[in-house]
Amino acid sequence: MAKEMSPERPRVGASSEDVAISETSSFFWKRSLWVTLLRTVIVAGFLLLWEIASGRWIEPFLISSPSRIFSSMMNSFQSGDLLQHTWVTFQEIAIGFPLGAISGIALGYWFGRSQLLAEIFEPIIMALNGIPRTALAPLFIVWLGIGIWSKVGVVFLLTFFLNFFNTYAGMRQMDQEYIDLARLMGASRWKLTFRVILPAISPYVFTGIRTSIPFSVIGAIVGEFIAATEGVGFFIRLSAGIFKTADVFVGIIVLMLMVIAMDKVADLIEKRVLQWQTHTEHVRIQG
Amino acid sequence: MERSHQVATRESSSRDDAEKAQGANRLVIQVENATKIFQTPDQGRMIALERITLNVPYGEFVTVVGPSGCGKSTLLKLIAGLTPLSGGRILYQGSEVRGLNTKVGYVPQESKLFPWLTLEENVAFGLDSKRYSKQQREHQLRHFINLAGLTGFEKYYPAQLSGGMGKRASIIRALAYEPPVILMDEPFGPLDAQTRMVLQDELLKIWEQQRQTIIFVTHDLVEAVALADRVVVITHRPGRVKDVIQVPMQRPRNIFEIHRQEGFDEAYGRLWNIFRNELNIRNNSNG
Repeated sequence: MAKEMSPERPRVGASSEDVAISETSSFFWKRSLWVTLLRTVIVAGFLLLWEIASGRWIEPFLISSPSRIFSSMMNSFQSGDLLQHTWVTFQEIAIGFPLGAISGIALGYWFGRSQLLAEIFEPIIMALNGIPRTALAPLFIVWLGIGIWSKVGVVFLLTFFLNFFNTYAGMRQMDQEYIDLARLMGASRWKLTFRVILPAISPYVFTGIRTSIPFSVIGAIVGEFIAATEGVGFFIRLSAGIFKTADVFVGIIVLMLMVIAMDKVADLIEKRVLQWQTHTEHVRIQG
Repeated sequence: MERSHQVATRESSSRDDAEKAQGANRLVIQVENATKIFQTPDQGRMIALERITLNVPYGEFVTVVGPSGCGKSTLLKLIAGLTPLSGGRILYQGSEVRGLNTKVGYVPQESKLFPWLTLEENVAFGLDSKRYSKQQREHQLRHFINLAGLTGFEKYYPAQLSGGMGKRASIIRALAYEPPVILMDEPFGPLDAQTRMVLQDELLKIWEQQRQTIIFVTHDLVEAVALADRVVVITHRPGRVKDVIQVPMQRPRNIFEIHRQEGFDEAYGRLWNIFRNELNIRNNSNG
């Protein structure tokens, strides 16, 4: 039977388009080389300009300079101070972020499954969402003290809402027919959740997770700005207070690297989980 | 293969009995005065189906034809228990269907394969580990994938398959776990004429082997006659059973030259007459 039919071909394998691409690939290769080169020149030029401007045209305590920042970073790391601060901030995020993401996803899923629950709580959640969440940070300090737990709380709060809203949006747009089909095929509750619903909404879930990554770092830093004895946020505020501008930039660079690392990890996981999708388009909000 | 042969002989003998006995206990699906009323957004009521009565014996291939929007798909949803009845009742093996009927397989209009599962995982979805041992699962999977000519594409994701291949996979997904009744909702609707014929041919060949009961909805009169033992004609809103036509053609049938087969013209002629009258009535009322 297999032999006598299937006149159509699957949508994979070499096509005329692939041939066209391979013919012009040397052009693309040259182009990407140029792009990289130009980018490097622009960044290097900017750093050079910064280095020259500092001390000549603008006071160094305002803008510091790349060389000063570099040596500050070396010193801070060698003394172990910065490592300790980074470790503290990392802990706050490492606890608050997964807790916030998991409970946000779980509640979003639950709301999507229960019409009644959604009807009762949706306006309340919307109202709570109207609060600028960082404004609640001082309250967390009052409730949980100036140690890491108040920052964990702020990280949790920021992460939770973004994950909740994205997951809930995914649940609301989900195709009911997939659920119907799975149930007709006798899927258990467990199978329905983990084999059908969660995979179906996974693009939304990942959008939530990746959107909330920079916000989780914001949460930790805001908490540390308000009241702390340790952490990168504390380090930045302290350094700015005594006009050690180079150290402020060192703190900022550490935070930047932290966000990039987290995003990279999320990207790897996402690529594995969503390999069934040809590609994903992310709407990402940077804060 | 041996197993499915046994199934075939058993089913076909029970089919002969059904024709002789005409007893109610031989009926697998009984639709009695089924009525479905939808609430329209402006608080009005729309009668989709009115007092539909339909008895389907084991192993019969029934097609349901009617103009688009006449509630054919709704009838299938009612039989599957996906949407509640407004009046009347539906019996499965003599007992009333309440809620979801997991004894029926459903092939939706679009393929609706789970895009996050491979072809193999899709087809295996209904093969519950409680009912099928690992070997049985493997066997069913190989058998049906081979039957549909999809061998070699087991690890492909639905997005990588052509429209026809997706359709085949969608059909064998419903067949693989051997539900006694299969409901098909215009499964070949969006395909081109050639692919359609190839798939109709395959469907009949598979059905000759399995002899499951099939209720097949379509708006194509040729398709309705070519596939069916019996054609049920449903009128435009409100949907009522206008007529039921026996198709006296022999099996196995040759889909590619169905027009030349004895009995086709007669059945098609009767069917077309009904539709012509329908159209005339509407022309008069318009004019």
